[in-house]
Amino acid sequence: MTDAALALIAEITHRCPLHCVYCSNPLQMVSSALELTTQEWESVFEQSAKLGILHVHLSGGEPLAREDLTRLVKSAHACGLYTNLITSGIGLSERRWDELVADGLDHIQLSFQDSREVGANWIAGARAHAKKLEIATTVRRSRVAFTINMVVHRQNVDHLEEMIALAESLQPERLEIAHTQYYGWAWKNADRLLPTREQVLESLEKIAAAQKRLEGKIRIDAVVPDYYARFPKACMGGWGRRQLLIDPSGTVLPCHAAAVIPGLQFENVRDHPLEWIWRESDSFRRFRGENWMPEPCRSCDRRTEDFGGCRCQAFMIAGDAASTDPVCSLAPTHSLVEQKLAQVNSAAAAAPNQTTPVLPFEQERFWTYRPNPK
Amino acid sequence: MSDLEDSSQPRLAAGCRWAGEGENRTLVYPEGALRLQETAQAILERCDGQRTFEQIVQELAVAYNASDPAKIRQDAVAFLERLRQKRLVDF
Repeated sequence: MTDAALALIAEITHRCPLHCVYCSNPLQMVSSALELTTQEWESVFEQSAKLGILHVHLSGGEPLAREDLTRLVKSAHACGLYTNLITSGIGLSERRWDELVADGLDHIQLSFQDSREVGANWIAGARAHAKKLEIATTVRRSRVAFTINMVVHRQNVDHLEEMIALAESLQPERLEIAHTQYYGWAWKNADRLLPTREQVLESLEKIAAAQKRLEGKIRIDAVVPDYYARFPKACMGGWGRRQLLIDPSGTVLPCHAAAVIPGLQFENVRDHPLEWIWRESDSFRRFRGENWMPEPCRSCDRRTEDFGGCRCQAFMIAGDAASTDPVCSLAPTHSLVEQKLAQVNSAAAAAPNQTTPVLPFEQERFWTYRPNPK
Repeated sequence: MSDLEDSSQPRLAAGCRWAGEGENRTLVYPEGALRLQETAQAILERCDGQRTFEQIVQELAVAYNASDPAKIRQDAVAFLERLRQKRLVDF
């Protein structure tokens, strides 16, 4: 029997005023002309609720770039879904915020790129930091669940404590400290973003100390960098097992990055009912359960915990989406990850970390910024 | 941070609410959901920010015909403290 889907990630647009160098959007973004209409998203929410989905994460791009966002929140709420807005905050006026709250928004997750303005704007490729601080104040005036999300990487993790202090001053219920995951644009910029081993270990200690210090006040959830782990992450809680993602044009994917895997055809809500896509479509069945698993996963006790890790990572690093996730220390291809980390650690030891951003005219050579879709 | 006292008025934290009815009654919150056992649900349903903790314990003692209200109080304290750590309950 197919498991019940629990969460829908609705990427309602790929348009965004920010250009973050670790954006999880695919390199091939969806143009605004192909975006689902308001009514089509409303149908998706109805179908999702019938499928047993509890949470809808309205994401992007920047979801505020859709003028109908408030109506989408209202419709999702009316279907009984728990609504979460994943946003940079840019485009959120006080009036729009009040409307979102009145129309049933349950939770907002606001991203910060750094505690230091220059560094934050450098990563975002936009002057956004100061505006975000204002928006955090507006948000906190309402009794809506408030999460601050901070993505960490080699360029900012050394001052993680300062980032935690900034988050604390903005009084969220929850702080998500996410080590960059290497897909999409982050994969393109991995050589500049991957932290050293020493940085990772230090960050985990700092996170543990903050969790203890802020217990009962701010809940800190940490996303660890799996390149340095012994075992892979249970990516998306297993392929087609708990979550699904719908891109701006209605294509249904098991995760953010799955479109990189060759040979899979992902179905669209414009052509098929969501329930059929979830239960029956080839793409969702391809890596569901255990039948697809190679050794060492097939006979591994951890297969019911990590589901063989991430299929996209297996393809991106090892060239085969049906192989064990190469970050697993038991994977036959694990040496590929070790080689990459050896390069990063020796390069970082030879050249000290870029603590101040490079000059503007050099930025394009340092990073590949995420552009806007056509 | 204050302890849970008889005069405390516990309530669900921001962004934490009930969804579904009957058997499907579920507590939903940022990034998660919980289906609770009957007694846990009975405690939490009464955490409305109005009732005091003392009232909640009294109501439970009556509802469950308890011979030992102190035990109920002890269990409810442990349960609500745990939910506060997860930022699901304020008091």
